Amino acid sequence: MSLAKLKAIAALPKAYSKLRFLIVDDFESFRMSVRQMIRAFGAEHIDVISNGKDAVQKCTYERYDIILCDFNMGSGQNGQQVLEELRFTKRLKHTSLFILITAETSKDIVVGAKEYQPDGYIAKPITKAVLQKRMDNLILQREALLPINKELDLENHPKAITLCTQEIQKGSRYQSWCYKTLAHLYYLTGDYSHSQKIYHDVLNKREIAWARLGLGKVQMGQQQFVEAIEQFKTVISDNPDYLEAYDYLASAYEKLGKRKYAQNTLQDAVAISPRAIPRQQQLGLLCHANQDIESEINAYRATVKHGNNSVHDSAENYLNLGRGLSDASEGDQSEKATDLANEAIDILEKATRKYDNKEVKANACLIEARVHIGQNNELASKAAFAKAESLIDASSINAKTGIELAKTLYRLGETERAEKVLHQLAQRFEGDPKTINRIEELLDEPVSLRQKFKARELNKKGITLFEEGQLEKAIETFKSALKETPKHPALNLNLVQVALKFMEKQGTAKVNRPFLESILDHVKHIPSQHRQYKRFVTLSKKVSLL
Amino acid sequence: MAEQHTKPDFSMVMASAVHDMKNSLSMLLHSLEMINEELPDAMKKSGKVATLQYEAERVNNDLIQLLGVYRLENDKLSIHVDEHYVLDFLEEQAVRYEGLLQSRSIKFNIVCEDDLVGYFDRDMIAGIINNTLTNAARYTKDTIILKAYQEDNHTVFEIADNGSGYPESMCNAPGKIFKGIDFETGSTSLGLYFAYQVAHMHKQGDNVGTITLENGGDLNGGIFRIRLP
Repeated sequence: MSLAKLKAIAALPKAYSKLRFLIVDDFESFRMSVRQMIRAFGAEHIDVISNGKDAVQKCTYERYDIILCDFNMGSGQNGQQVLEELRFTKRLKHTSLFILITAETSKDIVVGAKEYQPDGYIAKPITKAVLQKRMDNLILQREALLPINKELDLENHPKAITLCTQEIQKGSRYQSWCYKTLAHLYYLTGDYSHSQKIYHDVLNKREIAWARLGLGKVQMGQQQFVEAIEQFKTVISDNPDYLEAYDYLASAYEKLGKRKYAQNTLQDAVAISPRAIPRQQQLGLLCHANQDIESEINAYRATVKHGNNSVHDSAENYLNLGRGLSDASEGDQSEKATDLANEAIDILEKATRKYDNKEVKANACLIEARVHIGQNNELASKAAFAKAESLIDASSINAKTGIELAKTLYRLGETERAEKVLHQLAQRFEGDPKTINRIEELLDEPVSLRQKFKARELNKKGITLFEEGQLEKAIETFKSALKETPKHPALNLNLVQVALKFMEKQGTAKVNRPFLESILDHVKHIPSQHRQYKRFVTLSKKVSLL
Repeated sequence: MAEQHTKPDFSMVMASAVHDMKNSLSMLLHSLEMINEELPDAMKKSGKVATLQYEAERVNNDLIQLLGVYRLENDKLSIHVDEHYVLDFLEEQAVRYEGLLQSRSIKFNIVCEDDLVGYFDRDMIAGIINNTLTNAARYTKDTIILKAYQEDNHTVFEIADNGSGYPESMCNAPGKIFKGIDFETGSTSLGLYFAYQVAHMHKQGDNVGTITLENGGDLNGGIFRIRLP
């Protein structure tokens, strides 16, 4: 053993006496016994607390160097949720150690706990001797790396890089930690080539998941998404429980526009660890974009179910679930759809009760009005809508509630009012491209998701018929699709294109220019940035030359 | 939503039972520690408390193995390979047996470089080492050596004693086949089976982990070796 280590070990009781400890456990006898043990090791500042909520509260006002937290604390927050909240709200410093005490053996709990990486964990049963050895080792490591972690807390990256490099040159036993931190620091400061070099060097010696993941992240930073995907896939195939890799893989797929793959990736991840709410939220968004309502609902159900006691709990989780259930049940009176509608009403009511907030209530009522009308229950729908109106001030409405209001108005058949709301919103939120985008989308296609589905199916069928040369049938199919979504730009242009082709074949006698012009009229509202704009111009020119 | 009528997932039932028992063991072991401190010195040396502690540790090891083997059979066991400081890891395991070994006057040594780093599933390998240590404590004459070193990119753990060694029949392909229970010796060979499987789940490239049983060595007794890539 080196002299430095012997010195460090000799200094341990003193180290304990300087550190501030927090013990979190719901069993008093356990709290007391751990406190006794730590006191015997030399600790002087020890606080104990019986539940997660108070622990988080305490960490707001006090700085602890070492937090020993039990995983299972009855009905309140569990240890993982405490860790998650402390990390999320940045109340846990790099210089602090969070140690999870666990007797858990259920896989999704252990994986979940690893997802929010405690600095160490101690398995029950705990004895004084075992606790001391483990704590000694963790504290020795903490002391050795303290200067680096102090700089990390100050976000002084250049200094931290220097210190990491020095520690490595010293031949420190914590070299591996230093390399990992160093590579990450280079990545954070945008020095991709240095970062990449470390990851490559590490991987040349051994296949290590964090290095492989890091390499992928660097490649993402360099827009090399295809290469990055290979790295993340390798990490996952070697370590199916390495959940961070799934998140990066999904986001790489999204960058390449492969949203379906992204969705599948996140679905694999939530199957392993269902409790991570941000991932479930992200999955919900993806499913929505992919118009996979059933999966969307499942994701948002999970956000609600696991939201209790979590820092990621929010009214938006409930509202999103309500929106999904509303979309899924709309215009369908089957038993299954009725169940979904009832679930929606139930969830929305829970949201209004749980979050005593005008905004939330207004949104919940608006969604509820849509759910009722979707079940042909006009009376209930009107009542919910009236309640929403009483909560909304139209002149100061925010963008999200405004869009929700317009959506509901459309569904209630009040097209004019809906358009008025949207036009007013567009004026007020001129400088906010995201909101403008959503407003335009709604103005383009203010129809229900079910109608969109139908139109999409018919569009696909029309294209197939066109490719098979069955032009007349294709025209009829596109026409019926347009009954669902009359202003859909691509669909209208498809019809024009097929009709043109048909007329060409039939000879000049069959040219029906007014008909074609009337269809093109449906598309003229699209701005020049629109994806279909070029095609619109080309086809308009063709028609005008007929 | 419709209610689901499914059979209880036995793996979950078992996991929660084990969880509960581990909590109990925690309290039990802690109480023993407290009692031990209050005992007069003469009784401390009698080794009775140490025996209680030893048996509690054995129960704990058995629980871990029971759950592990059940999960193994149902393909629900997965391993989490992380980087660990091997010496720290070994010290943390050995400390569980300090009292017991002292009370039985067994000499115990850890031989390992201070900065040796290994890649393995902490809980699984701890289970195997603990199980082997409890066995060694039972069969050794008066010495146990726990050793770890690096060899051809493998991390090797060895537990050697100066007892009469393993029966010849066990030394061939240990753990590969579950041999059933030998009621005469009380040996289930479950531990070896579990160790073999867990070692096998540690992979790196084309290499997989192995276990071997040997007799001889510096102590001229039994040697249990686990080699992980």
